[in-house]
Formats: sequence, C-alpha cells, structure tokens
Amino acid sequence: MSEQRGRDRHRRRTALLAAFSVLVAVGAVAAVVATTDMLDAYGFLRFPLGFYLLAQGLLIGIVAMCFWSARAQERIDRAFSESEEF
Amino acid sequence: MRPRPRLRQVNPHLGAYYGIVASAVISLLICLAMFEQFGWSRGVLAEALILVPLGLYLTIALGARTLNVEDFFASGRRVPPVYNGAVLAAVLIGGAGFFGYTGTLFFLGFDGLAIGLAWTTGLLLAGLLFVPYLRKAGAYTLPAFLGQRFRSRSVRVVASLLQLPPAALLLAAEIKIAALMAALFLTISYQLAIAAVAIIITFVAIVGGMRSLTWSATAQFIVGAIGLAIPLIIVSVLMTNLPTPQLTYGEMFAPLTRSETIAGISPSAPQQLTAALPAEQLKPSTKPFLQPFGAVSRLDFVTLFLCLTLGTAALPSLLVRSGVTGSVADQRRSVAWAALFVALFAASAPAIAAFVRLFMFQDIAQAPASALPSWLNDLNLYRLILVQDANGDGTIQASELLVARDGVALALPMAARLPFVCTVLVAAGGMAIALAAAASHLFTIAGSVADDVVIRLADPQGEVLPRLMTAWVVIAATALGAAVFLAFANIDLMHAGIMALSFAAATFFPVLLLAIWWRRCTWLGALLALGLGFGVAILEIAFGARVGSSYGHLTTVIAALIGVTLGLIGGLIGSLLGPQPSAAEANYFEELRDPGGEALYDRARQRSTAAAQ
Repeated sequence: MSEQRGRDRHRRRTALLAAFSVLVAVGAVAAVVATTDMLDAYGFLRFPLGFYLLAQGLLIGIVAMCFWSARAQERIDRAFSESEEF
Repeated sequence: MRPRPRLRQVNPHLGAYYGIVASAVISLLICLAMFEQFGWSRGVLAEALILVPLGLYLTIALGARTLNVEDFFASGRRVPPVYNGAVLAAVLIGGAGFFGYTGTLFFLGFDGLAIGLAWTTGLLLAGLLFVPYLRKAGAYTLPAFLGQRFRSRSVRVVASLLQLPPAALLLAAEIKIAALMAALFLTISYQLAIAAVAIIITFVAIVGGMRSLTWSATAQFIVGAIGLAIPLIIVSVLMTNLPTPQLTYGEMFAPLTRSETIAGISPSAPQQLTAALPAEQLKPSTKPFLQPFGAVSRLDFVTLFLCLTLGTAALPSLLVRSGVTGSVADQRRSVAWAALFVALFAASAPAIAAFVRLFMFQDIAQAPASALPSWLNDLNLYRLILVQDANGDGTIQASELLVARDGVALALPMAARLPFVCTVLVAAGGMAIALAAAASHLFTIAGSVADDVVIRLADPQGEVLPRLMTAWVVIAATALGAAVFLAFANIDLMHAGIMALSFAAATFFPVLLLAIWWRRCTWLGALLALGLGFGVAILEIAFGARVGSSYGHLTTVIAALIGVTLGLIGGLIGSLLGPQPSAAEANYFEELRDPGGEALYDRARQRSTAAAQ
C-alpha cells in the first residue's frame, strides 16, 4: 500500500515538473511574441529587447530549464528510489 | 528490490582523443593558411581541408567497428551525456540547418528566429516527456518501443513505415547539401558527389552501426563547431573588436538599418507562410532585418514555432539515440547538453546573417555599379550571388542583388575578405555536420526497416535472417535509393526540413505522449493516433494547394498541428472504446515509469538467454 502511494507520489511530482517546465517555456515564448513591438522600444546590449529575447534570451532560459529540470527530476527519482529501498 | 543496472565502462581517454581531433583540425587550418600565403592553389587547399578530416571520420568509424548487436544498435549503452548531446545537436541542426537556417535568417531576419527557438524548446520537451522513458524501455528503434509497449506487431510495423517520410526527407536533404559542398570545392560533378556521400555514410553505418555513427559524428560535430566559430569570431573581432559575436552584433544594427534604407529596403507586409520562407534559388532580400513579422505574420510565427517544437520532440532520428547512454539520468542530461549546443548555434546564426547583410548592403548597394568590390568575383564564381544593374541607373539596389539562401554562411568569410581557407573551413564544417546527420537518418530508416519490418515479417523467430546482415543490406539499399532519387530529383533543404518535422509532429507526438503518459492507452488507440496524424499530413501535401486557394491559409505547419490534435483525440477514443490493456501491457507501463533498474529490453534479453541455456 505504501509502495503504491510512493509510486503515485513520484508520478504526480514527475508530471507536475514536466507540465511546469513545458508551460513556462512555451508561455515565455508566447508572451515575448505577443509583446515584441512594445519590448523593441527598449534596448539590451544594443539589441532591441524583443529581438534579443527571441534570438538569445529565451534560448538561455530554455537551456537553463533543461539542466534544472534534469536535476530536479533526478532528486525526485532519488527520493522515490530511497523510499523503495527501505 | 529492483535489479540494479549493469555498470558500463566508459573509455576514460575520450576527452584526450577528441582534444587531439580538435587540435589536429586547427593545426591543419593554420598550416593551410600559411601555405595559401606561399601561393598554393585554391584547389589543393580545398582538397586538403575537406579530404583530410573526411579520412579522419572514416578512420574513427572503422576503429569503432563492431559485430555485437548491442553495440550496433545502441552503441553499447555507454556514451557519456556530453558526447551524445553533441551528436544529437549535429543530427538536429544538420547541414540543412547549418546553411539553410543562416540563409533563412538572412532573408527573414527577425521572423526566422522561430526555427532556432523551436529546435531548443523541442529538445526540452523531448527530455521531459519522452527520452528518459525510451531509455528505460531500451528498445533499439522507436517502432520497436511502440511494439513492445502495446505488445503489437502491427503497431511496430506501421510505425516503422510511417517514420520513413520524415527520415527520408531529411536524409535526402543532408546528402544533397554535403554533395553540393563537395561539388563546389572539390571540382567533381554533383552526381559523383552524391554517389561519394552515399558511399561514405553507408560505410559508417555498416561497419559499426550506432557505435561508429556516434564516434565519427562526435568528430564531425567538433569540425562543424570549428568551421562555424573561427570565421565568425574573426569577423566579430574585425567588426566589433570583441571575440563574442553573439553579444556584439547588435552594434551593427544601426549601420545595417541605414544601408538597408539606402538600398531601397522598406518595411514589408507579411505573406502566407509557404511563400514567405525563402527558396534555394537566387532571390533579392526585401524585408528589413529587424522588422518583426514583416514576412511571416505573428500567428504564422507561433504556429511554425509550435509545429517545429513538437516535430523536434518526436523526431525518430533523435529519439533512436535514446538508448545509448548508461542510465536514464545520463540520457536526460545528454538532452540538456544537446539543447545547449543547439542554442549556441541558434544564437550564432543571426550574427552570421547580420554580418553578411551589412557587408553586402554597405559594400554593394552604396558603390557604383561599375566599381563593385573584388570579393564579389568569388561569390559570383561559386554562383552564390548575382548582381545586375537592371534599371541602368548606375547603382545597385537591393532588388538587383540576388543571393543564394544556402550560400550565406559561405559568403561571410568571402565578404569579410578572409583567407580562402576560411571559406573552405565553413564548407568543411557544414559538410561534416551534414554527413553526421545523413548517416544518422540513414541508420534510423534502415535499422528500423530491417529490425521492425523485414525480420518481424519474414523471420519472426529470428532463426533464419542474421540480424546485423539484414541491417547491412537494408542500409546499403536505402543509401542507394536516396542517391538515385537525388540524381534525378531536386529537394529544397529548408522546405524538406520543415516538412519532415511536420510529419514527425503529426505522426509520432500524439502516440508517444499517450503511450508514455497514459496507462489506459491501447494498441487500437496507438494505431488511430499514428494513422490520423499521418493521414492529415499526407492529405495536406496532396490537396493542400487546392484547399489553400479556397481558404487562403492551410499550410503543412497548420496541418501538422491539426494532425497532432486529431491524433490525440483518435488515440483517446480508440483506447477508451476498444479492449482494455492486457496485464502484460499494464506491467510494461508500470516498469517503464519506474526510473531505476535495467532497461526493459535488456532485462527481457537476459531472461530469454538464461532460459535458452
């Protein structure tokens, strides 16, 4: 029974992490695309901000999210694996 | 307690080996740059810079030869994450991305950024939704995973056949660009170059399968990175005094915008997506680089992004590499490395496009037609540009400057007046990436057809047909087919790439999502998801133009998104209305979602081997 509960908890946390990461990444792209004209009024490193975010800023964020989510998932898996061992 | 995974030894000298490869390529470049100053002919320089690395790739592939089935199909499951990430990035970008994406950015500027962004986001999705579970399954091909998940030979065979269109389109595009570069710089005919490229990738795929692919593609990735980085960094130092082009090309925007205005480029209105994407033929640039949504509408930008994101996440040629690392965690990390490498390329490509545009519009558009810069002769020689004072007013306007999309990356060192070896370096780098991608697509098609179709249908018990020999024959036949196709037909790199990702999204994204994340999904739902997604993509290609003329807006990209939606609905309905999943399917799903332990396929093999003894 507790094993099943541990498994369900692991699945739930895994699904939440995946959903959160995907929603944040796609949401950030959608938000920048929707507000590009406004963002381009500002500058960053001599780039128009909207252009910079699509050309580099979001890429950096998505790569960071890839590494972060991989580590977060490892922590979730380790916690699950330890609960199984005992 | 669950069985622990086997410990797999990783070669501790890999870093040293590939450090030597990188040093050797850079040393060769420096030597040839000196020899160029001594007056060596361009032909000899080009041959040395293209053929020596080529020999290196073939030597590495030969050194990684194998007759072991696990090595042949899964590289022994001991590839470190960084190396697998490098190969994944090479396969995703490919020669089509290397040359096609930089060219697309040259013409579309801001509007082309959706593609690079989608590649990176697609890898994030793949790493979260599919790859770790495919590693746990341990199947050698994507169709094999689906077959094992649903305990269905029909699903396996159908999936194998449906992955042919995306992988074949990409294979043809990669062979074409590698052959074009060879024909351009090695003074051999295009047909001969196609045959040579087909033989090379066949050799790499046959001698060691996934193992030789992995280690030769790592070297090719290094050469590709050097080929892109060195000329770009030199140009950046010349233009901005800093060796960080990604951060400094923004300084060029003010002079670029001025030059574009003088050359007669004014803000444009968006067109339909298919028409807006530049074709490979010489054409003028008509849209300001920085103008947002001047060629592609905001809606098309989003749909293109979504379609390519889903297509990247479900691309069979990437997912087939999901079993090559030592563990589920390593596989996840390798996707993160791949995203980093792809993002580095995606952040560099706009810098190339911006620099080339600046050189062209500053040097050509402002000079009198009778005194054009000398570097133009080089570009003319390679048919990368065509300048004509059509209206006879004595100056060259943007509309009179025709540029070849796939030659923009090559134009950078020429327009910056760098030594000729830098131009060949870009070609050799792009060719290396194209060869890595082509060999991978070839292996994806042939490995699956051999293992999932031929053996499953002709010899299900595996008693007559030797597994590796069947794969060798299918690899050779597939490469021959692709070469013959390209000898008679033409294919546009970027359009083929977008179509392939659209196919992958429509066909495989729904079924993978349901198979991995929904316990109740059954073989019937899987077949419906595969069939509906693929059907919509095929219908759009067959009848899209007709529908498009009536409704004005149906493109391959939108059809793919419709395919994904219908595939998901079909998979849900088919699974709910059909029979319940069997106990074996339910057990497989439970074990698939458990992150620890040995790969399911390996465990099953160990059991069957033990039973046979």
